[in-house]
Amino acid sequence: MTIFFTYTVLGLVLGAVYGIAASGLVLTYNTSGVFNFAHGAEAMLGAFVYWQLRFGWHWPAPVALVVTLGLVAPLMGALLYLLVIRGLRNTAEVTKIVVTVAIMLGMVALSQWLWNPNQPHTVDQFFGYASSFKVFGVSITTHEVITLVIAVLIAVGMRLLFHRTRVGVAMRAVVDDPDLLQLNGHNPQRLSLISWVLGAGLAVLAGVLVSPISGGTLDANVLTLLVIDAFAAAMFGRLRSIPRTFVGSIVLGLAATYVLAYFPSTWSWTSNFRISLPMIVLFAVLIILPQDRLQAAATRTRERYRVPSVRKALAGGVALVVVVFLLRLLMVDADIIVLALGMCFALMALSLTLLTGYAGQMNLAVCSFAAIATLVAYHAGVSGTGVGARITEWGVLLAVAVTAVIGAIVALPALRMRGLYLALGTMAFGVFVSDMVLADISPHVLPLLHIKFSLFTQGTLIIPAMRIGPLDLSDHTTFLMSVTVVFALLGIGLVALRNSSYGRRIAALKDSPVAAAMLGQNLVRLKLSVFMLSAAIAGLGGIFMAASVGAVTADNFSIFLSLALVMLTVSAGIGYVTGALLGGIMAGVGFSIVISSFNNLAHGGGGLSGLWSTLAHVSALLPALVGVTIGQSPSGFLHELFLGYRRMAQHARGLLIGAGVADAVLYVLALTKVVDNWWFGFLTYAGIVLLPAIAQGLRPALMTDPPPAPKPDWEAVGVDQPYTDQVRAALDTALALPATPRRTVPVAADPGPAAAPAVAHAVTT
Amino acid sequence: MAPHATVPTVPDGRADLDVPMLELRDVHAAYGPIEVLHGISLRLRAGSVLALLGPNGGGKTTTLKVCSGLLPVSGGELRVAGRRVNGASAAQLTGAGVCSIPEGRGIFANLTVRENLWLAGGDRAGLDRMEEAAYTRFPRLGERRRQLAGTMSGGEQQMLALARALGTDPAVLLLDELSMGLAPLIVAQMYETVAQLAQEGIAVLVAEQFARAVLPIADTAALVLHGQIVRTGTPADIENELSTHYLGG
Repeated sequence: MTIFFTYTVLGLVLGAVYGIAASGLVLTYNTSGVFNFAHGAEAMLGAFVYWQLRFGWHWPAPVALVVTLGLVAPLMGALLYLLVIRGLRNTAEVTKIVVTVAIMLGMVALSQWLWNPNQPHTVDQFFGYASSFKVFGVSITTHEVITLVIAVLIAVGMRLLFHRTRVGVAMRAVVDDPDLLQLNGHNPQRLSLISWVLGAGLAVLAGVLVSPISGGTLDANVLTLLVIDAFAAAMFGRLRSIPRTFVGSIVLGLAATYVLAYFPSTWSWTSNFRISLPMIVLFAVLIILPQDRLQAAATRTRERYRVPSVRKALAGGVALVVVVFLLRLLMVDADIIVLALGMCFALMALSLTLLTGYAGQMNLAVCSFAAIATLVAYHAGVSGTGVGARITEWGVLLAVAVTAVIGAIVALPALRMRGLYLALGTMAFGVFVSDMVLADISPHVLPLLHIKFSLFTQGTLIIPAMRIGPLDLSDHTTFLMSVTVVFALLGIGLVALRNSSYGRRIAALKDSPVAAAMLGQNLVRLKLSVFMLSAAIAGLGGIFMAASVGAVTADNFSIFLSLALVMLTVSAGIGYVTGALLGGIMAGVGFSIVISSFNNLAHGGGGLSGLWSTLAHVSALLPALVGVTIGQSPSGFLHELFLGYRRMAQHARGLLIGAGVADAVLYVLALTKVVDNWWFGFLTYAGIVLLPAIAQGLRPALMTDPPPAPKPDWEAVGVDQPYTDQVRAALDTALALPATPRRTVPVAADPGPAAAPAVAHAVTT
Repeated sequence: MAPHATVPTVPDGRADLDVPMLELRDVHAAYGPIEVLHGISLRLRAGSVLALLGPNGGGKTTTLKVCSGLLPVSGGELRVAGRRVNGASAAQLTGAGVCSIPEGRGIFANLTVRENLWLAGGDRAGLDRMEEAAYTRFPRLGERRRQLAGTMSGGEQQMLALARALGTDPAVLLLDELSMGLAPLIVAQMYETVAQLAQEGIAVLVAEQFARAVLPIADTAALVLHGQIVRTGTPADIENELSTHYLGG
């Protein structure tokens, strides 16, 4: 019985922390419509700040608490809201998710900069571990009592806030109709600001309370994921109800500790199961909960993507292969390996272009699908031993097929979910794979088969290169060119798919599920097929990635990597194959190259080593900064870049050709070792990014749209003034008709057949 | 944008009947690049009811959005009680006494009747006053004060929306499609309340597709077509012309 009481107390305390964290999450979600993935990171940062004040600088606990909770936390919440979240209205769900994910990754990077993860940061419980009570023969520390009391106070306080104060009632109203709230004389922005401040406070409180309970040593990733467990609790209340959220928290906390107490100790997976329990619960709750019904209105968002033609995609694919081959000529072996790894990640990101960019579905666990494919290829697809071992083409096919099936199995319950729920569901799957499947390290006897087996043997898998027909990919150059060709082929295939009737159907699914259903589309089949296809691509990329790395560990498939991949692909432009290329390369290798080159400079010594290591830390924050900017341009930065180049191709072709020739000369110079590779790379990159801006500066008149023509005097038109094409264009604009092609405008004398129908239409309206 | 015109101020602050409570001077407004109001001019005196009539897509709702501050004016002038209020936010205009009840029930469906009234008070009225005003005029709301507003009938929801105008003592009331989806009897009851409010000195601007419902209580009617006011006149005059314009001339 003592065991029962002990674990009950432990479970209640854990549940209390979950409850505090989850209520903050519910609060911010309800007032801003943004689900804060960075909630766990806020808790983590708060815990570190508290450590710094209390144990780093030895401030008295009350002062440290007041500064952490009263100053740092509100400031963090307010800054987040004012700088980032406020700009997220009218963006797609994926943008909102990506931005908060970016904040989360940025906060983790920041904490690792400020607090070196290689040094231990230990926190003590309030009043120390020794200070405790005896209840029913169970020892319970003062800290745990305080945690329980605070949770109860917060549960009651939130209830009062939402039902007994006008600010709280207004907070509940703001998400339904901010315009109406304004008409009632309230300021929705102020309400959201208050809720983000309160939410940050609750997150930090949870972080400060939980860190001494869960071991006492602060670890940024562990703390962040710990509060992510609170997502499951928040889902109990459908992200709305505070009381149900607290009930869910307690259930979750108790379940987690009872698993530890009562599962047989001979089961090797008990502790893994306990760690992944919240994610299993999250997945289950998502499936069981009644979902919002399909909404009739198509949501209008700010994201825009152009669909390229297959011919353009073909040209792009050929260009990519040629460019990679030319680059390869400049490179030494080590660089080739890095570039190949980047291409592998780009291949994985391609699955997101199809799933999220084309079909509007979400998957936050790309790397987990990659892990599954790798496992299958490792266990069933290798022939030969030692240096001669190769993955066969049949192994690749089998792995891709199994991944597609797993994708379907994950998607099947997820079919009723949309947007945020789908994202959370796939994330739960991803964390589950990391904690259960990839943590299955020590061999155990399989039931029925009686052989010793473990999925992720010894924690490291040696993945050999592939041999596909006569092609042996163990050579670095062959590997790089093969990945590039596979990427190009798949990219062209995806563009062709998008231009086919299937592509139009998944686009319809993205824009308005209701309209697609009313047109007779089978949404289930559509979603399932797109999920399977996407999982298969992720799996293929995963095998290449694993083969490129050689020896993979669970870290190669972590959920943080998946999130970074999604984030960078979205910020590059998820609707484009090029976006996948750029996002994948950035996520896979881009930033680690920058960071490691700064670190090398720092270790090289000299007076600037401090500066270099600071720059290395700043570049660790870069991915997060890239992700946050997406709030400003939700279609991705490639979209803006493409727009600039399209204008240049129309108006400033000479400059474009000149720049191309200049870069070709630079390449030849680099090839003949006259110019350093680094300079070639830097100048080319800078040129590509800055060229539209340069053109804008040189020829502002060409790059901007002509100013709108002066309004005609409507009454005089056709009487004293002739009907010109300008007048027709103005008419069309005034009546919101599709614009006539701009080319016809200067031809004033002869209206031409093209302009005539528009005029006729305008007159009869 | 029009140059800053001289503002007719009232020296002692009393309401001057010659200064209209709400005035639009050549107002233009646009959704993005598409202009939808091409110069609307209206004058609305305290205690009068002006009916904006016209077919779908004519610009009635947009005109009301401009008046309530939800849509910025892109040209011309919006004046409340003689003061130029271009660029004021909806919350600021509400504070200045403009009460706007948008199309399709201006209530929060997930809050109770009481909570709706609480929010409706804004900074202008406390809960007690709002409840008293609402329950006296519409006893049925009193019976349902703890019910979620979204679960009430359409008529009751519209009563709740109108209750905001009853309790907050506004100077200008903007009503959009009050009759939408309601039984004729309820509509008549609603407009009766509106007429009473006008008698108490509130300036009322009503946009209505269903012209017969509002014309009996209107002092003036204006016909809005293609983002412009094509005719202004007495209700009787406009009623005769309506069918021609609705069916397309």
